[in-house]
Amino acid sequence: MLDTSIMEKLRVLTESAKYDVSCASSGTQTKNKGGLGNATAAGICHTWAADGRCVSLLKTLLTNDCIFDCAYCANRSSNDIKRVSFTAEEIATIVVEFYRRNYIEGLFLSSAIEVNPNATTEKIIQTLKLLRNRERFYGYIHVKAIPGADPELIRQAGELADRMSVNIELPTEESLRILAPQKNVQKLLLPMAQIKKGIDEVNEDRGKYKFAAKFVPAGQSTQMIVGATRDSDRSILFAAENLYKNFSLKRVYYSAYVPVNAGANLPAIQTAPPLLREHRLYQADWLLRYYKFEAKELLTEQEMNFDLDFDPKMNWAFRNLDRFPIEINTADYGLLLRIPGVGVQSARRIMHQRKISPIKYEDLKKLGIVMKRAKYFIVCGGKFFGERNLEVEGLKRIMNPKPMYEQLSLFNLTKEVPYPLGGRNLLPKPVEVGSPTDGQAKLGLGRVIF
Amino acid sequence: MIYLHDGLFDGFLTCIYQHYYGHKATGIFEKASYTPCLFDEVLVIETDTEKARKVYNSIVEKLSEEVYWSVFYTFLANDVNKDCYLLNYIVLAFKMGPSISLLHSHDVVYPVKRLSKKVMSERHRFLGILRFSDIGNCLYAELEPENDILMILSDHFVDRYMNERFIIHDIKREKAIISNLGEWLITDFKLKEKVIFGEKELFFQGLWKRYFESIGIESRSNAKLQQQFVPLKYRKHVVEFHTD
Repeated sequence: MLDTSIMEKLRVLTESAKYDVSCASSGTQTKNKGGLGNATAAGICHTWAADGRCVSLLKTLLTNDCIFDCAYCANRSSNDIKRVSFTAEEIATIVVEFYRRNYIEGLFLSSAIEVNPNATTEKIIQTLKLLRNRERFYGYIHVKAIPGADPELIRQAGELADRMSVNIELPTEESLRILAPQKNVQKLLLPMAQIKKGIDEVNEDRGKYKFAAKFVPAGQSTQMIVGATRDSDRSILFAAENLYKNFSLKRVYYSAYVPVNAGANLPAIQTAPPLLREHRLYQADWLLRYYKFEAKELLTEQEMNFDLDFDPKMNWAFRNLDRFPIEINTADYGLLLRIPGVGVQSARRIMHQRKISPIKYEDLKKLGIVMKRAKYFIVCGGKFFGERNLEVEGLKRIMNPKPMYEQLSLFNLTKEVPYPLGGRNLLPKPVEVGSPTDGQAKLGLGRVIF
Repeated sequence: MIYLHDGLFDGFLTCIYQHYYGHKATGIFEKASYTPCLFDEVLVIETDTEKARKVYNSIVEKLSEEVYWSVFYTFLANDVNKDCYLLNYIVLAFKMGPSISLLHSHDVVYPVKRLSKKVMSERHRFLGILRFSDIGNCLYAELEPENDILMILSDHFVDRYMNERFIIHDIKREKAIISNLGEWLITDFKLKEKVIFGEKELFFQGLWKRYFESIGIESRSNAKLQQQFVPLKYRKHVVEFHTD
């Protein structure tokens, strides 16, 4: 077992798995019942890779040998790459040995579809059984539900895993048809619906019996790729909102598309992943889940995509300036959460401290409020501390100063000096909606599927 | 009157007891870290577990568990004045009652909140970046935390590795958690010689490093972000950051 072929397999299968962004080990509290491991509700990150992303689980594939040919995927059947597979035994050994050394919180097992969905799911279950039953492993396990697998197999996997996920990948039916013709929406949503039903049933049982069976206790998640198609942020965010509402997902992940394949329907291979756009989507996702925002407040028909210069909450504030400034000492919790620079923690602290004494301006920073942003939107004890009256353009200029200087040329003095506004483009322009690169098909702004 | 204690939590609690039943304390320090001042009246307090227990009970009963944990976490912080902050905090807490937990930016409360949060987050960091190696008859991990967090790491790892023997060694403070199949203690500890790794251990270290290299996406490479999460000072004992 301890030989270099394992090293090589792990390298290949990890590189195939790394575009799946989910790595959370949170959402469930498990005590060690006489074996190895436990799980904490908050989750634990064990290290951070060179790209700055957290590593919590051993994220790998059982195999990268796939019968599907999804355009965006590195493992598509038409790619000429090395195909390898792990045995269940090998994965179990690596997980246990890594876990004993506190390298990881558990396993995130995914797989290409080797023969058919059922065979793949059976192999996943076999691996989980080895870990849970033989090794008595109580750490965190996240597995992919393979669309098209028999519901009975998905149920078995769900009883062994902490979290399951089905990746939607694309938010509209149309994009899915073009890039992943062998997948279809109904097939993707089926396991999701089944998992939700399973979780709901167990929750109901838990109300009745003390020792109800466990089923996917950490809930399910999904992932959407950003920037592989022309889908707007609005389509993506609306899809996410629907998934949260209809399938009670724990998380939707967004993955800035890294072009791994050339293809007529895809962005050119050297296109930089739209990292800032991905970041804005995550911020918006947080606003949906913790700040009681709705997708339709954040993006409108007129504004299909997020402003890359300002975060979504700030943008919302710009559009709703008439609601500000807000008095810190009287506003209710929901309103506090709407103030740029005030987070969930600081809003809670405000609510708590207000019960004892009024909040003074000097307190705000200690309460964790980011005054750089907040001071233009609040009044504290009836006083406003911003430097000027609220007015959108002026605010934008203060919040996001763009360098005022520019190399002037003798020969184009007639050129207008740009208005010093926004424009802090940290990254090369992402494959933008509305500006398809050469060869990229004109994917329409399709109907949101969910 | 300045009270000095032996550095144990019970010692500190005895000082609090003394503050209420003896002379009022103007400050509390650990004996080892206190620098004498010309005009200070100093008294070394003998640790008395009975008195400490009484203070502990009244904090938990008259105030709350939450207040107790803030006090305990703050006590572990690496800050010379921590015990003085705690003295003020406890005095205020017994005046106010459990509602002291609602305060955050108050001048007496804030230093305690700040320090206890610091300790808590360092503990959480080490739950992740502590690295064990299998040295044959047990698992062994080294760390050099800023705050004295060994005590609050024990519950997590003892539960997690209840069928293992392991040592978590704070090499700066020269003490360790030693756990044997779920039974554990904290004791003074020093290695006589350097730990040597066997072939199997080196294999899994290598495998882990290989995994660590493979999981990063080159086109997203972001060393600055990585350093935010794993500051250089912590990398010494984290195997995947070792360059051979």
